[in-house]
Amino acid sequence: MLEVQSLSKTFGIGASAYHALRAVDVTIAEGEFFTLLGPSGCGKTTLLRLIAGFEQPTAGRLVLDERDIAAIPPNRRPVNTVFQNYALFPHLSVAQNVGFGLEAQRRPATEVKARVAEMLDLVQMGHLRDRRSSELSGGQQQRVALARALAPKPRILLLDEPLSALDLKLRKDMQTELKRLQQETGLTFIFVTHDQDEALTMSDRIAVMEGGRLQQVATPRTLYDDPANRFVAGFIGDTNFLQGEARGGSVTLAGLPPAPLAGANARSGPVTVLVRPEHVVIGHSVPQALQVEGRVERLVFSGTDTHVHLRLGQGETLVARTQNSLHSGTALEQGAAVNAFLPLEALRLLPDEAAHG
Amino acid sequence: MAETSTPETRVWRDELRRRWALASPAMIVITLFSILPLMVMVVYSFLAPGLYGNVIWEFSLRGWAGVFTERDLFDDTLGIAWAHVTILGRSVALALATTALTLVFGLPTAWFIATRHPSTRAFWLFLITIPFWTNLLVRTIAIQEVIRADGTINRILLSMGVIDAPFAMMFTNGAVLLGMSYVFLPLMVLPVYAAIEKFDFRLAEAAYDLHASRLYCLRRVILPLMKPGIVAGSILVFIPALGAYVTPRLMGGGRAMMWGNLIDLQFGQGRNWPLGAALSVVLTLVVAGALVWYVRATAAKGGRDG
Repeated sequence: MLEVQSLSKTFGIGASAYHALRAVDVTIAEGEFFTLLGPSGCGKTTLLRLIAGFEQPTAGRLVLDERDIAAIPPNRRPVNTVFQNYALFPHLSVAQNVGFGLEAQRRPATEVKARVAEMLDLVQMGHLRDRRSSELSGGQQQRVALARALAPKPRILLLDEPLSALDLKLRKDMQTELKRLQQETGLTFIFVTHDQDEALTMSDRIAVMEGGRLQQVATPRTLYDDPANRFVAGFIGDTNFLQGEARGGSVTLAGLPPAPLAGANARSGPVTVLVRPEHVVIGHSVPQALQVEGRVERLVFSGTDTHVHLRLGQGETLVARTQNSLHSGTALEQGAAVNAFLPLEALRLLPDEAAHG
Repeated sequence: MAETSTPETRVWRDELRRRWALASPAMIVITLFSILPLMVMVVYSFLAPGLYGNVIWEFSLRGWAGVFTERDLFDDTLGIAWAHVTILGRSVALALATTALTLVFGLPTAWFIATRHPSTRAFWLFLITIPFWTNLLVRTIAIQEVIRADGTINRILLSMGVIDAPFAMMFTNGAVLLGMSYVFLPLMVLPVYAAIEKFDFRLAEAAYDLHASRLYCLRRVILPLMKPGIVAGSILVFIPALGAYVTPRLMGGGRAMMWGNLIDLQFGQGRNWPLGAALSVVLTLVVAGALVWYVRATAAKGGRDG
């Protein structure tokens, strides 16, 4: 179990100081696939480098197995890293790369040999053991980098955007592969990415970061269904933000009848309501829903879905996602007037922004 | 039937002709300034010496015989020319020592420059290259000024009372080594700098993450990847050091003579051009040997120590 306790990191001093990490608190459980997700500059890589030991925290503690490891140098931390560019040693063979961590620890040669073979089998690279890393494809380098980091049996494996250099097809395969490896080894993975799809498909829990702070730490499902704030809602998936007014336990969206929403009791005044595009229903009425009128402004075909951009009566836009099926009835046309239905259970009241830093 | 001239062969022949035409300027320069002078040396080494220098155009092996043998002045018996052996030994030893010394000082210097901020690197490189623009004689005499009997070092030591009498540094092997190391240092720094600058420091970070100590990382990752730069610098220093003439002449005088001075002696006072030519060919062969080693060392697949 890794406990990150009010960890801060500031680069530079005085007026030019840059606060990369601001008092981050999080506990990562044993065997968890934990993802740090956020846009570039959010502090996710800094947090990873602090855990690896490449940076020293400005304040706070880093407790692994009830021991503060913040002062331990990287080469003596039971933590290994898969680097973004793989950082394989170009002058060594695949097997020598994988064995590097064990040889650096002066493990006996027989143990190194056995462990290297085991790791190469695990990532299915045994047949290329004598190749040089410069002769491998991106996906193969990725596997070697994984085997190399796993070989010294780390307590925690850190992965710094390891899939970002791969093309889409290979990335999807490696996602599955990574998840399989994590489940097989039962190891704690801390995975850094800016790709929300990657985070949602692989993680047990995700920490969404922005501005050096944790915005929300939750399971993929909770992050998507109940985002803690506007940033998380906007960063994870597509969302419609609708402005409304809360009064007496109900929320009134412009031009619509008041609707009783969860959490509305505690609020009064202007609020933001969000609804995911796939929950908006077009064409047929549904019970327990708000009905809005709009005009089809744009249709965007994306394979399985069509994104319907509606312009509502009050000038707001609303995006609906409709599935493309073989018998999708009458096709929508640009400029057509349609009725859209917002099911009450799909409407989420965003928590009060002012309450957050 | 004679060879038919299909369009394909005609195109190919024109292509070949064009390639030769484009390569010819380089070929002419190489022939005129490299191959021809070398052939002159080889030919002269097999001729007989003239009485007042120059050569007599008849085949003779006396030049080559004189490289490592000499006739006794009194009984005319053939013996080994120990003086030449000593000078060759000294030349190789001093050239190797110069290479080692420039590496010891050049590697940290190059490391320092390569790890500066990119905007200030040009300034440091500029400082390193300044000696290149200064005449070799001036640089050597400057070093002389520092170490001669009434030079800077001796005067400081005397005035501080560390020594009673001037410390003799001039005209020793040490003086030649110092002079050559000073003169050739930039030739080591520049290629090593280029190697360090290209080095991906994330690899050092990866090694550190994989439980390597700093020393282990240096030995297994940094040095193997810098090997081409170190080998190139060593060759660049070793070759001119082996044939050095000005520096040993000024710093070593007649006592610490090197191969280059021996060659000079044969073409000058010795009036034995064939011997001088043979000595030059020997030097060229040693240098060629060093180059062959260089090609092997850099072309071979890096260090497979593991």
